[in-house]
Amino acid sequence: MTTTLKVENLNYRRNLKRILADVSLSLTGNKIVGLLGENGAGKTTLMRLIAGVAKNAKGIISVNDKTDLATRKSLISYSNPLGGMATNKRISEVKDFYQQVYPDFDEQKYNQMITFLKLDESQRLSALSKGTREKLVISLTLARQASVYLLDEPFSGIDSMSRKKIINSIIQWKPADSLMVISDHYVSEIAPILDEIVVVKDNTIVVHKAADTIREESGQSIEDYYESLYGEADSND
Amino acid sequence: MEFDDKVPIYYQIKTVIYDQIIAGQLAPGDKLPAIRQLAVSLTVNVNTVQRALREMIDEGVVISQRGRGNFVTSNAEIVEQLKQELIDRYLKQLYDQLHRLNISDEQIVNEVTAYIERQGDLNDDNTES
Repeated sequence: MTTTLKVENLNYRRNLKRILADVSLSLTGNKIVGLLGENGAGKTTLMRLIAGVAKNAKGIISVNDKTDLATRKSLISYSNPLGGMATNKRISEVKDFYQQVYPDFDEQKYNQMITFLKLDESQRLSALSKGTREKLVISLTLARQASVYLLDEPFSGIDSMSRKKIINSIIQWKPADSLMVISDHYVSEIAPILDEIVVVKDNTIVVHKAADTIREESGQSIEDYYESLYGEADSND
Repeated sequence: MEFDDKVPIYYQIKTVIYDQIIAGQLAPGDKLPAIRQLAVSLTVNVNTVQRALREMIDEGVVISQRGRGNFVTSNAEIVEQLKQELIDRYLKQLYDQLHRLNISDEQIVNEVTAYIERQGDLNDDNTES
C-alpha cells in the first residue's frame, strides 16, 4: 500500500529561527486528520511546505510516493486563503480563475456546494464576511479532485452556524478515497469528525494517534487530552 | 447530534442505532440510511460510521447485503436479546449504586415500585391538564 502523505526528517529555518525540527509523519488511507498546535507552533509552515507553497526545507515530502514538486502540487488541494486575489474581484471571477488554473476543478460539484452554502456569485471579495469568505475557500478547495486536501484553520473566527455548515460540506463532499488534513488550535468543534490527531509542539510532532483510541485509552475528550500535553511543562513557543 | 467526546464516537453511533432498533423506530428488516447520509446526519466521519457498522454486523444486528445496503436483522430473537442487554445494563447501574449505599434488596424493590407509582401519577396529572 502506498503512503498517501509522507514527511521524513523535515527541518526548516527562517531568519536563523528554527521553525520545524526533525518532523516525520506518515498518513495513509481516506482519513480526516486534525493537525493541532498552539498559534506559532509551525502548523501553517508544515502545511505550506507539504503543499509546495513554501520551499527550501531539508527533508523529504512525498504524496502517493511522488516527491517532485509539480506532481505533488497536482495531487494536493490546499486552502489558499485567497491572498493573491484582488479584493474587487467577484466570486464568479475567482471561480473562473480556479477553473483555468486547475484542470481537476469540478464545476458541478462547486455549484452544489455554493448552493448548499448560499454563496452569491455576484458578490465581490471585499464585501464578504469572514464566514462567507471561508465558505468560498472551502468550496474552491473541495471542488478540485485531489488525493490530499489541506485545510488551514478553516474555523478560526467563524460563527457556529457557518462552522456547522462548513463541517457538513466537508463530510458531504470530501471524495471517499482522499486524505484530508485540517489544522486548528481549538479542537472540540471538529473532534467528532477526526480519525486521527497530530499535535505539533516545540517545533516538532509530539503525538500522532487515532481519536477513538485516545477516548478509549484515556477516557478523556480530545480537547482535554490535547490540553494535557501542555499541562505540566511550560512551552516556550 | 451531540456526542460525548470522552467516549469513542463509533460506540456512540452504535448506541444511537441500537436505541432506534429497540424503540421500534427502525423495524426488523428496515434498510439503514447510506453510510455518507448517516455521517452527514450525525455530523461524524464516514470512517467512524463504517467502524460502527462493522461492529453491528459482527454482532448480527445489522445484515450487510452486497450492492443493496445494510439492513436491520429480521431475527426478532436478536432484537429481543439486544433489548434485554440494555435493560440489564441500566438495572445494573441502578442496583450497583444503591447497593453501595447499603440499601437492602427489599428496600430497593419497594422504592422502585413506589417510584413507578409516583411517575404514573405524574403522567396522569400531565394528561389531565
